[in-house]
Amino acid sequence: MGSDRVRLNVGGKPFVTSRTTLANAGRGSMLAAMIDENWDLVSELVSEEIFIDRNPSYFSVLLDLLRTGELHIPSGMSEKALYREAEFYGITDRVRHARKGPLDGNRLECVASISGRATGDGTAIRASPDGGCCVAHGSMVHVYNWAMEEQIPLTLDYVNVNDVGFLNPNCVVICTCERGDRAGGMASFNVTSGKLVHKFQVCHDDQLKNFTAGALASSDVHLYASCRGRSYEYGIGTWDQATGQQINFLYETPGRPLGDACKLQWLPQSNLLLVATLFPRSDHSFVSLLDFRTKGKVWSWTDSCQRKSADEKIVMDAVAMEECSTVCVVNQFDNLGFIDMRNSSHPVRWSHRYRSARVSECEERCYSKLAVSGSQLFSSKNDSVYVFCSPDWDAARGVQTARLRKTEGGGAISDISVGGDSLFVLHNEINVFDVWETPGSSGIAEVL
Amino acid sequence: MSQAKKKTFKIEPFKHKVEMDPKYAEKTWKILEDAIHEIYNHNASGLSFEELYRNAYNMVLHKYGEKLYSGLVNTMTQHMREIARNVEAAQGGLFLEELDSKWREHNKSLQMIRDILMYMDRTYVNNFNKTPVHELGLNLWRDNIVRSPKIRDRLLDTLLDLVHRERTGEVINRGLMRNITKMLVDLGPTVYQEDFERPFLDAASEFYRLESQQFIETSDCADYLRKAEKRLNEEIDRVTHYLDPKSEAKITSVVEREVIGNRMKLLVEMDNSGLVSMLIDDKYDDLGRMYNLFRRVSTGLQTIREVMTGHLRDTGRQLVLDPERLKDPVEFVQRLLDEKDKYDKIIQLSFSNDKTFQNALNSSFEFFINLNARSPEFISLFVDDKLRKGLKGVSEEDVESVLDKVMMLFRYLQEKDVFEKYYKQHLAKRLLSGRTVSDDAERSLIVKLKTECGYQFTSKLEGMFTDMKTSRDTMQGFNATLAGSESNEGPTLAVQVLTTGSWPTQSGARCNMPREIFEMCNKFKQYYLSTHTGRRLTWQTNMGTADLKATFGNGNKHELNVSTYQMCILCLFNIADHLTYREIEQATDIPAPDLKRSLQSLACVKGKNVLRKEPMSKDISEDDVFLFNDKFSSKFYKVKISTVVAQKESEPEKQETRQKVEEDRKPQIEAAIVRIMKARRLLDHNNIISEVTKQLQARFLPNPAVIKKRIESLIEREFLERDRGDRKLYRYLA
Repeated sequence: MGSDRVRLNVGGKPFVTSRTTLANAGRGSMLAAMIDENWDLVSELVSEEIFIDRNPSYFSVLLDLLRTGELHIPSGMSEKALYREAEFYGITDRVRHARKGPLDGNRLECVASISGRATGDGTAIRASPDGGCCVAHGSMVHVYNWAMEEQIPLTLDYVNVNDVGFLNPNCVVICTCERGDRAGGMASFNVTSGKLVHKFQVCHDDQLKNFTAGALASSDVHLYASCRGRSYEYGIGTWDQATGQQINFLYETPGRPLGDACKLQWLPQSNLLLVATLFPRSDHSFVSLLDFRTKGKVWSWTDSCQRKSADEKIVMDAVAMEECSTVCVVNQFDNLGFIDMRNSSHPVRWSHRYRSARVSECEERCYSKLAVSGSQLFSSKNDSVYVFCSPDWDAARGVQTARLRKTEGGGAISDISVGGDSLFVLHNEINVFDVWETPGSSGIAEVL
Repeated sequence: MSQAKKKTFKIEPFKHKVEMDPKYAEKTWKILEDAIHEIYNHNASGLSFEELYRNAYNMVLHKYGEKLYSGLVNTMTQHMREIARNVEAAQGGLFLEELDSKWREHNKSLQMIRDILMYMDRTYVNNFNKTPVHELGLNLWRDNIVRSPKIRDRLLDTLLDLVHRERTGEVINRGLMRNITKMLVDLGPTVYQEDFERPFLDAASEFYRLESQQFIETSDCADYLRKAEKRLNEEIDRVTHYLDPKSEAKITSVVEREVIGNRMKLLVEMDNSGLVSMLIDDKYDDLGRMYNLFRRVSTGLQTIREVMTGHLRDTGRQLVLDPERLKDPVEFVQRLLDEKDKYDKIIQLSFSNDKTFQNALNSSFEFFINLNARSPEFISLFVDDKLRKGLKGVSEEDVESVLDKVMMLFRYLQEKDVFEKYYKQHLAKRLLSGRTVSDDAERSLIVKLKTECGYQFTSKLEGMFTDMKTSRDTMQGFNATLAGSESNEGPTLAVQVLTTGSWPTQSGARCNMPREIFEMCNKFKQYYLSTHTGRRLTWQTNMGTADLKATFGNGNKHELNVSTYQMCILCLFNIADHLTYREIEQATDIPAPDLKRSLQSLACVKGKNVLRKEPMSKDISEDDVFLFNDKFSSKFYKVKISTVVAQKESEPEKQETRQKVEEDRKPQIEAAIVRIMKARRLLDHNNIISEVTKQLQARFLPNPAVIKKRIESLIEREFLERDRGDRKLYRYLA
């Protein structure tokens, strides 16, 4: 006792390290528990060294991580296997932090391009809070964990998926289209077991109603969805994530289209929900911010009175930049527009940065998609994602700072999503998505 | 695992399906189960952490998480039941100790089990929304031990019994108590609250209800408060030693309710030792204790305040309306000041300078001082007394403090204008007779009045001081011209020129002055009018003084300091030796009451009787004869003969002052009405009354009936009119 030195034997290979290094792993890890005094006396009685029945080559990489705080993966070593070992030792979080830093649009690296099994037509990609993601292909939802290992594919009666979203890293919610005369459904699933957790339903006057959910968004405790039903069920439904019970339903009123909304976004700082009803679903664009505590609209914008010429600009996607108090929109010509959400009745300030003569040469063109992280705006165009950075106080002053382009022949980008410090880019033509991350404190020697 | 089988090798056909040993899960779980048993039996030294961890990891990896988890629950439950049996079997006092030591062991075991099953905790528990191992261990302990029917009640009874024993003075094992309550807190706040705190509070409530009943029957108020304070501190002490800190507010509120709140009325009203007698006897400590304890109860301070106010008002009323006290104004005011000092000190020392108490004190004083209509006069007289003689040889700070106290009483007065009237009179007398002790003190009081009531209030008083100063200058000039012109034969004249209006002028009673004086007066008049044109001088003979040199029998020479009237009378005796009352009255033309008073002071005061009177009697009658007292002697060269004056006002004088005050108020009330109406144009009767009262409050409290009369007078003079539609409304006529 008294000595700081610890002798380990991992899979036959001796390692000598110190208690302090192992304690670095944190109390919740296997390595720290092993040298805890509860167990410590024991091992010293039995033998001088502690035996661990694992592969020594991975252990040496992980031990190095504990010693230096940096992760160096030797060439030829499988990253997945390394993660599995980290999981065994209980130091996954440390590995993840070493690998990935906070998302910085100007320092992104493409860490993976994942090809899925399904045939084309990826409709939506959504990031999970822990760095995983899910991709909706027709009626299937493929879920990938943070290490990009594919989980059990999910489906809700093999009906086409309208939207998907993560409630937490373990739970995905899916809503589907109507099929024939049956309305769509909405349910959450456990991603590891693939089991159904909750079915979300709409009640009106104590009667269950048929409805189809269009778009999803979730706060810490609630789940929101835009709903269309047969009679009254047009509006935004709210459910409790933990119990699956409906707690609220905000009906749409004339001049306030909610049920057809194709994009919802929860704004955590201001406790508001952005609801956007856009072109393919309706003739006029309508964007509003709702406060569910007062059940009222706090801000809205619409282009219903502005349409006139053939040159008209139709808003194709909208996203709120909460830090800049701005709603960003993009039109069919890929122009970015900014609307101040601090006061109503402000017009869109369009930025004509890259209006191009050749509007579309690709046969199958995808409209721009938007995603936001802090005051960084990501906008897709054709097969690239452009990064715009702006001062906090005015998103319209943002400048394009980077262009991300990876997969050759992936074709146009159909959707992008930001979350868990990763940017996910889904290509339209072949079923492949790219994962972009900012490297952590350590460099990764070789990725593949 | 085991490979030591001495059998010949047999090559089996290759199986397509790789199946895991069907007993794999059973075997692995057996290893883990045994380990858990060993851990609970303190026999963990033979275990290898790595092996156990790896086995648990493998079970979860191979989808036996469910089996592992339910096995854990079963095994732990089994152990909990066994522990429960052990604890139940513990005898008497060992019960808690057994529970405590088992709890500590359980915590340690739980820690080790959690270490082994860490991987399951991270993955299986997380994915399938199970209770994490640590929490599971606590829940099992709660359900199988703390809340098992045989232990639950016994545990509660034991704890409550220990607390009770400590309350009755026994020494208990506080460390053990702390461990047990901490266990309850660790099991979740609801366990602590439901299984211990609530019954604990009920027991405390019952205990203190009985005890306070017993206390109140056997002890006096001060004693009771001491006991209550001690109990309260004990309970707070108890919380810090072995209860959850959150209990402090709850248990103190129980003690406060039972020991203080419910007994408050009884305590305060206790005969011979309650609040009133504490106040009378200046029991600062007891009062402070009462304040600190009662403050904890919502209506506590209010109760103290009400009783104090009631007592103050009663004693104050007695003080103010006691006919004996009214005889001596100085004593009267001094008593008020003493009373104020007494309560100031109580509030400062015992009630931590509580503002609400100060307000209560002030409102009580305001209440009873104004019960006596003569308070303003008395306060002015008190000041007069202090400034005449009382402050001789007193340091400047003490003077200030006396004046400050007087100002404080002044603040309580509602009829400040009455005070002003009297103060003016008294100040005039002081100034004219040159009797004020300190000019600084006079001025300092004026400044105080000015800050309190504004410039208007003191402008006339300040005018009086200015008059005194200009008079001195005028006299210097006059004397200089006299010295320059003729022989300065004859008497020396000192004149004080008073501005009409600034001074309280009494009806300018005239008298015939001796010839020499009269000539000097005329000279002054000439001189004054030559420097100040367009003015009129009137002689206020009733206010002057004179120094006479007189020679008595045996050549005794004396200087007599007398009033102007007395001088006139004495000068008559230069040419005659005896005169009748009527002769004197005729010669001097002095008003009868003044003449009588002057003669009385000249003839009837022992040791200062420069005149003799026949017949010898105390009172002056119109048939008396006065003789020059040749035999007058005194050991002093200077003899001051003061006029017999009533220091207090006589009844008619009082009426007169009162009337004057009322008369002075009329224009003030009218001015206020006009000011208000000018701003508001249209106002109803009640609002005018309340606004006028508000405006004039600083000076006096106007009577609504008087205000009404003034309004009527203003309507007559067409400043206002009644609204034609609503008779209650008045309209301003510009």
